[in-house]
Amino acid sequence: MSRDLAGVWLTEAAVFALVVAGILAERPWALGATGGALVVAGGLVRFVPRLGAALAGAFARRRAAALAGGAVLALALPLALRSSPYWTFVATLALLYVTTGQGLNFQIGTAGVINLAGAAFAGLGGYAVGLLTVAGGWPAWLAVLVGPWAAVLVGTILFVPILKTRGHYLALVTIAFVFIFNILVNNLEFTGGPQGIKNIPTLSLAGYAFTTPPALAGVELPAHANFYYAALVMAGLTTWVLRRLHDSWLGLALNTLRDDEIAARCCGVSVTRGKLLAFSIGNFFIGLGGAFYAVVVGFVSPPDFDFGYSLVMLSVIIIGGVDSIPGVVLGACLLVPLPERFRFLHEYRLLLYGVVIVVMLLYRPRGLWPARIRRYR
Amino acid sequence: MLGVMYALVAVGFTLFFGVLDVIHFSHGDIFMLGAFTGLTVLAGLRAAGVGGALLALPLTFAASILVTGAVGVLAERVCVKPLARASPLMTLLATLSLGLVIREAVLIFYPRGADPKPFPQLLPQGGVELGGVAIRYENLAILGIGLAAMVAVDRVIKSTKMGAAIRAVAQEPEAAQMMGVNLDRTVDATFFLGSGLAAVAGILSGLYYSEIHFIMGVTGGVIGFSAAAIGGLGNVYGAIVGGLLFGVLQTTAAALIPRGSEFRDVVAFAVVMLFLVFKPSGILGEKSVERV
Amino acid sequence: MSAAPNLLDVTGLTVRFGGLVALDGVDVVVAEGETVGVIGPNGSGKTTLFNALTGLLAPAAGDVVFLGRRLTGLEAHAIARLGIARTFQASRLCLDLSAFDNILIGMHARRRTGLLDSVVRRGRLVGEMRAAIERASHLLALFNRDLPRRGFERVGQLPQIDRRRVEICRALAAGPRLLLLDEPSAGMNPEETAELMRDLRIVRDEMPGLSVVIIEHDMFVIEGVSQRVVAFNYGRKIAEGSFAEVARDAEVRAAYLGAETAHA
Repeated sequence: MSRDLAGVWLTEAAVFALVVAGILAERPWALGATGGALVVAGGLVRFVPRLGAALAGAFARRRAAALAGGAVLALALPLALRSSPYWTFVATLALLYVTTGQGLNFQIGTAGVINLAGAAFAGLGGYAVGLLTVAGGWPAWLAVLVGPWAAVLVGTILFVPILKTRGHYLALVTIAFVFIFNILVNNLEFTGGPQGIKNIPTLSLAGYAFTTPPALAGVELPAHANFYYAALVMAGLTTWVLRRLHDSWLGLALNTLRDDEIAARCCGVSVTRGKLLAFSIGNFFIGLGGAFYAVVVGFVSPPDFDFGYSLVMLSVIIIGGVDSIPGVVLGACLLVPLPERFRFLHEYRLLLYGVVIVVMLLYRPRGLWPARIRRYR
Repeated sequence: MLGVMYALVAVGFTLFFGVLDVIHFSHGDIFMLGAFTGLTVLAGLRAAGVGGALLALPLTFAASILVTGAVGVLAERVCVKPLARASPLMTLLATLSLGLVIREAVLIFYPRGADPKPFPQLLPQGGVELGGVAIRYENLAILGIGLAAMVAVDRVIKSTKMGAAIRAVAQEPEAAQMMGVNLDRTVDATFFLGSGLAAVAGILSGLYYSEIHFIMGVTGGVIGFSAAAIGGLGNVYGAIVGGLLFGVLQTTAAALIPRGSEFRDVVAFAVVMLFLVFKPSGILGEKSVERV
Repeated sequence: MSAAPNLLDVTGLTVRFGGLVALDGVDVVVAEGETVGVIGPNGSGKTTLFNALTGLLAPAAGDVVFLGRRLTGLEAHAIARLGIARTFQASRLCLDLSAFDNILIGMHARRRTGLLDSVVRRGRLVGEMRAAIERASHLLALFNRDLPRRGFERVGQLPQIDRRRVEICRALAAGPRLLLLDEPSAGMNPEETAELMRDLRIVRDEMPGLSVVIIEHDMFVIEGVSQRVVAFNYGRKIAEGSFAEVARDAEVRAAYLGAETAHA
């Protein structure tokens, strides 16, 4: 029994150490070494039969411990990265993509509601925060809680009639919408035009301003770590809520709607209600990610929320695995840091995302961490 | 004018839907690719000393149609056909991503890809006044070329063996196969035809706006698909009608709404949204109905 | 003839597809606890009848009354909640979901926990799901004692006959008053058909008050399970009665075998 525990925690710690080393490595040989170590480890697990099965078994039997271990490591990440505030920011960004990704996955993966306007709904959340704080004088934390509802509201009003139609029409309409959104915020006065909205106040909870550097275990961390921890809570809550919704009557009904609408209807599932719920719930979390982004970065502008970002959000889901809650986390953790680490890839980022999606869909349509059978725990 | 270009792209969408029951989301970027290929060929011809419109234009069209058609077939072979069996969601995502790849490839690999590229004015300039309306020769030429392309498509579909095969596969793929139609080759031919049309549309667009931009495929694709949807997916004449309708709508709206040209795209997209909300199966009716 | 009101009362049901009349003024009644067989050549309107009954098609004329309520005009999901369940000619299961999940969806209309319970009062949801899975296991075990053990496997991995059983269990899970079976023996060999007949008898024993309407091409099945048979042709009811009566009917024989053999 304790062998399972050791196996789980050792694996997690090893991966953590290698990833952090890879991020912080200064010399190419160090980066190569850590990358090589990760590849070798992955290969061992994949191809040495007993090892892979044993680890999988250990993780399955000790789920709570694995989650706890993961949580501890996530909390310790800023500590490990404290020499690089930039990388703390990248980690925060990854968590934002986890948040929006879970929302988008609930729409596309779970319910089969094809939303290509993810960027626009995130933008609605972001701009709502911008307007509420800068024009309305609201405190940042309140704006972040209220902002996502703008995404929900707009989604409901504009899309209720179309949700009933076939998938590709909805896809098309959402593409049209993201362009309309982009052009409108770019050209309208009150959204700040091409400059966007600047000077969004930073978060401040009960007098604690997020610009003060926090301390963990006596060690001072870059101020940005505050946002990281807040984002961790947000992403964690999002994942927790959506996982529970996925493993419930709603998730089951949405899956059935996705796979066979006629069978679902004949089992008493209301198509309109189901799709609207999925769409709205998803939009809330997508908007939440955008809202939080606004206070992290301090400004929102039209290029932050264009069609390209919808596609990035899409690739996060597809790489991890559609309808897979852990898949989204994996997808975000892979897709966000890698182009940052390998700067030369940055220009080719979108091209690579596109190629990766096509390759994944052809050869691993279920993703890297496929959705598992429901167990209703 | 605009309508003609939209119509050509729309026909592609509708053909692909008819033959494989797929929405080929990267078709818009194929349209863009056609324009850029045309520009490259033109530049090459210029460098080789062939500058005259009479020779350069047909050569450009021909070369672009061939190249773009081939890319279209490649896209179909790699991306569309393998996934046609799987859920429509997969094909949608795959073709969407393929479009992204094409778009980014042009952005990255074409010299200074992010900037709009001027397109040479090869058509006769100037115009006539007819009853108070100024008619430019250029527009007439574009209209003429576009109409010629549409007539050519019509001929192919109605009078050639391949056209008959396409129609047969669109209606009843299994029956068509039993009658000896080679499914794979028919699908290839359809994609070549559709992509070639898109190439023509792309060059026409370059001639009309005197510039092309790597992002024109997204707008073109959205409008082209919507036009095809308005006309009823699978219905070629519907697609043509839809495209023309869209062109008229967009031009009218741009003229009537203040700051119309900036918001021209918004108007187009808004029309798309409104139309699909209220009448998704189109004016002339969609092809397939799900059996219970 | 019982004086009790009929479970299902269909009067003058007409369904049109453009110019084609798929159902033409059809009258059918189904009493409680009855098993009615529906036969007829392909295209005679049998599945169309089911689709109209379950709300997937809107009739052009006529009425459907179920347990005293008018069904015409209701949405499919509303009709399902009133107690009508069905299977489909080409099996409609979610192949990537578990067998249990495919049955649980049948209980969707009967659920008591809501969204809040799913997230916050998780214990309630888990409890309800556990009970639901118990029920699904019980239903599966009726047909095949080994099946519940495979309940958490993807249903696409099960053999076809077991998939049919899962689909029937899904229909039964809702606790319906009326069960519509659309060609359950399609694609089965004689052994599987015999098992199917056994399955249908088990269903009858398990739920004696359940009314069943079964479309079939296999006369053996029809004869074995139906108390009454209705024959269709070209969207119209052409005969009704016991199996023997209907089998003897001249118009029925003409429909199946051609006019020359009708009086043979």
